[in-house]
Amino acid sequence: MTAPALPVETAQHPAPKASAGKVVLEVEDLRVHYLTRFGAKIQAVDGVTFSLKQGEILGIAGESGCGKTTLVSGCMGLYIPPLYHTSGDVRIDGQSIVGMTPEQNRKEVLGRKIAMIPQGALNSLNPTRKIKDMAADMILSHDERADKKTIHDRLRERFSRIGLEADKVLNSYPVELPAGTKQRCVIGISTLLNPKVVVADEPTSALDVSTQKSVISLLFDLMNQEIISSMLFITHELPLLRHVSSSIAVMYAGQFVEYGTTEQVIFDGRQPYSRALMGSMLSAEPGQKSRKPVAIEGAPPKLDKPIPGCRFAERCPVAQADCKSTDQVLRVVAGRQVRCKYSDTDLIKQVGGDA
Amino acid sequence: MLRKNPTLRHILGRAGWYFVTFLVAVTVNFFLPRLGDANPIDAIMAKAGAMDSVSAREKEDAYLREFGLAETDANGKVIRTADGKPVKTSLASQFVNYVEMSLSGDLGTSILQYPKPVTDIILDAIPWTICLQLPTIILGWLFGNLLGALAAYKRGIFDRVLYPLALLSSAIPAFCVGILLVYVFGIRHAWFPAVGGYDPSTTPELSGAFLSSAAYHYVMPFLSIFLIVVGGQSIGMRSMVIYELGTDYVKYAKLLGIKESKILLYTFRNAMLPQLTGLALAIGAMVGGALITEIIFSYPGLGMAILTAIQGNDYPVITGCTLLLSITVLLANFSVDVLLGFLDPRIRAAQAAEAK
Amino acid sequence: MELVKGLFKIPSFLFGLGLFVATLALAFLGPVVLHIDVQNRVGDPYMAPSAAHWLGTDHLGIDMVSMLITGLRSSLYVGFLAGVVATLVGTLIGVYGGYKGGLLDDILTVATNLFLVIPTLIVLILLSSSMEKGRSLTLIALIIGCTTWTWSARAVRAQSASLRARDHVALARINGFSTFEIVIEQILPYLLSYVFMVFILQTATAILTEATISMLGLGPYDSISLGKILNDARTNEALIGGKWWAFMPAMVLVTVIAFSLYVINTAMEGVFNPRLRK
Repeated sequence: MTAPALPVETAQHPAPKASAGKVVLEVEDLRVHYLTRFGAKIQAVDGVTFSLKQGEILGIAGESGCGKTTLVSGCMGLYIPPLYHTSGDVRIDGQSIVGMTPEQNRKEVLGRKIAMIPQGALNSLNPTRKIKDMAADMILSHDERADKKTIHDRLRERFSRIGLEADKVLNSYPVELPAGTKQRCVIGISTLLNPKVVVADEPTSALDVSTQKSVISLLFDLMNQEIISSMLFITHELPLLRHVSSSIAVMYAGQFVEYGTTEQVIFDGRQPYSRALMGSMLSAEPGQKSRKPVAIEGAPPKLDKPIPGCRFAERCPVAQADCKSTDQVLRVVAGRQVRCKYSDTDLIKQVGGDA
Repeated sequence: MLRKNPTLRHILGRAGWYFVTFLVAVTVNFFLPRLGDANPIDAIMAKAGAMDSVSAREKEDAYLREFGLAETDANGKVIRTADGKPVKTSLASQFVNYVEMSLSGDLGTSILQYPKPVTDIILDAIPWTICLQLPTIILGWLFGNLLGALAAYKRGIFDRVLYPLALLSSAIPAFCVGILLVYVFGIRHAWFPAVGGYDPSTTPELSGAFLSSAAYHYVMPFLSIFLIVVGGQSIGMRSMVIYELGTDYVKYAKLLGIKESKILLYTFRNAMLPQLTGLALAIGAMVGGALITEIIFSYPGLGMAILTAIQGNDYPVITGCTLLLSITVLLANFSVDVLLGFLDPRIRAAQAAEAK
Repeated sequence: MELVKGLFKIPSFLFGLGLFVATLALAFLGPVVLHIDVQNRVGDPYMAPSAAHWLGTDHLGIDMVSMLITGLRSSLYVGFLAGVVATLVGTLIGVYGGYKGGLLDDILTVATNLFLVIPTLIVLILLSSSMEKGRSLTLIALIIGCTTWTWSARAVRAQSASLRARDHVALARINGFSTFEIVIEQILPYLLSYVFMVFILQTATAILTEATISMLGLGPYDSISLGKILNDARTNEALIGGKWWAFMPAMVLVTVIAFSLYVINTAMEGVFNPRLRK
């Protein structure tokens, strides 16, 4: 695929400069499944390939149930039953993490190479532990020999750097802090060990608009200061990625259906689903034509058995007779990867409002 | 000073609240037994047996004066109506009398064991009850919590075997466990004495013979209360820990790569704190269950004292015992209330918010 | 609806339900199929079980099976009545207090705190001991119901307070629906499964409580109950004499009812409260 373009910059969000650095995270034909209570096998991630370079922010968008969360677990090596690794590889800094024991994965990968900024930051901190104690637990879990003084200094330095009153915040319990501060604490703790990849799972969804903006600019700052080197940004709101990511992958039924630069996917989507996803969100931002929000009818397919043909065909407004019978593969159209037989025709332009 | 210290403010507020509750308990304690029409004097007179009318009258007068149930004239003689019935004092003045006496530590005189003061009956019984219940409830609470936490963490086999057992043990009424133990180990097999707190051939004193017989008699009542407490507490703890294991902070801690043993400590601590409230609340229920256990084993504690009093309509003893139990439960709740405020930042934050 | 269907797939729920239905069947079909007589002696005191009297006789020589079935019916009656009273009062006050706050909520808090620290059993002992003559089964059930409702009110209140912030409730409020309408139409339906679980627990508790106070000799004067059978057995030395049939079956029955209700409740919790699901 082509090198992703710079993310769209806005005054509020000085985006990090993406240097075409070395590859940090490589995911190769990853397949992950889980078992339901009744023993059915659900192939939640079905052949995903992508790579993340230093300084790159990749947005992954899709409805709930499309496999985003499972993909994240897969990338972090969290194969805890009922979730299982089917096939494929995940490498961070060239080292494969799929064969690791849970303990090895915990100690060497989680928090150290790849860290998560979770969705519900409000409840993500242990309510009966002071911020500094939970943060210290995090460091000590990876480095048993770290002494108190070093930890203390490190916490103070890092928390001041992310714009918090370090002494006050570190000595507080989570209930004593406002939501925005808690979110900052979570970001601070997640990035304590300077992880290569940060996964942000809808980090802003529970926050008000102004806090959302400050959280995103904080993440950009961390990248600019090279505390973290690259980011996966998971969201169900595709338009949000416009100001955040340098490239975007749209996921549907366990697979990427479109994968390209932010420009390409947002303004010139070539796949009915990603176009519909753009259109289904109400986005009253300047520069974007007012589109009527159109909900996508129906629900994602169940993945307990193989689906013949295009997985989106059932719900696709422009589906053709042969869509349900021909399997779709990712191919390069107009510089991005796309999974649709008709992506180079005018047919798909009927989806998503404008033409 | 109060404004600056929400914890102190909270404690004082709670103390005031518990004092009000205490007053209500005292009132309830007085009025409830008097709602009915049973007359303790008649009961006691019937018990005294036949005697000539003059001495019966004198005796009745003495009782009426003693219990403050009839109006007396300036000489302290009971005023009677034309047909010889004593003029009853109003409930209100009886109540004032009762409160005055209670406050001075005088709980009245037993009717059944006249003229033994109620305080003496309680003082005789209470060491037995405390020695039986306090260690049993605390040990049962600790052990139950441990078991519940283990069941939640291990799920699988623990959950499949222990959980139904615990559920069963909490469904078995307290007295059934006692009856079962008495029947199986006390009567069928006679491994342990079935009734009493000590061998009747010994007398309560600090002698080896007495202590060893008391210990021998202790086993079955202990087991019977212990089992029930363990059952109830482990069920509570299990669902608390399962809840905690599913919280966002546990998921996040796992994603951070925090050690599993650390995460377990988080959940146990956070599940334990509400369980502490559970302990205080349970004390009320446990005291009830434990009373019944004493009855089954004819253990010479408060339970037996209450049972004997109920059977003989011995109101002063009934109200004396229930008053004592209410105060105990109130104190237990109050201590936990204060303790939790110190231990749990969530509660402390709520207190601070309240104070604003 | 899907959840209710799912409930019937859970083995523990079916097990609890089966047990409970079996006790119900015994209570209601027993008198139809068997000859029940609790008035007349059919033999000597404490006759051992035999073909004619499956569970022997009690201390007066009355057929134990008859006593047990009659006692079981009383226990179920007490449980049901007390359960209904406690759940009804508790739910109404809890839902209203949780949604509306204000005076009712304050009263609720005061009453709950009072009943939480004054043990129910003590109130029952005091009340029952003073009402020797009027202590009917119904009165006992009502007393139990009236002293335990605060527990359900507390539980329901918390749930109702959390529903208050939901969009559909806010919408109804903006549209000018009355509090009563909102409580009935917008809040109660969401709490139904929860209220039902509360009812099950209250019923089980009431059955156990009745057995306990009857055991103390404070049972109903007008009926035979399982607790009274146990009390009779205890005071008439069935235990010391090893007459197991005089107390064991009654104990088993009380335990089975309470256990089956607990199992049903736990299974329902597992389904309706996804947090507890594995």
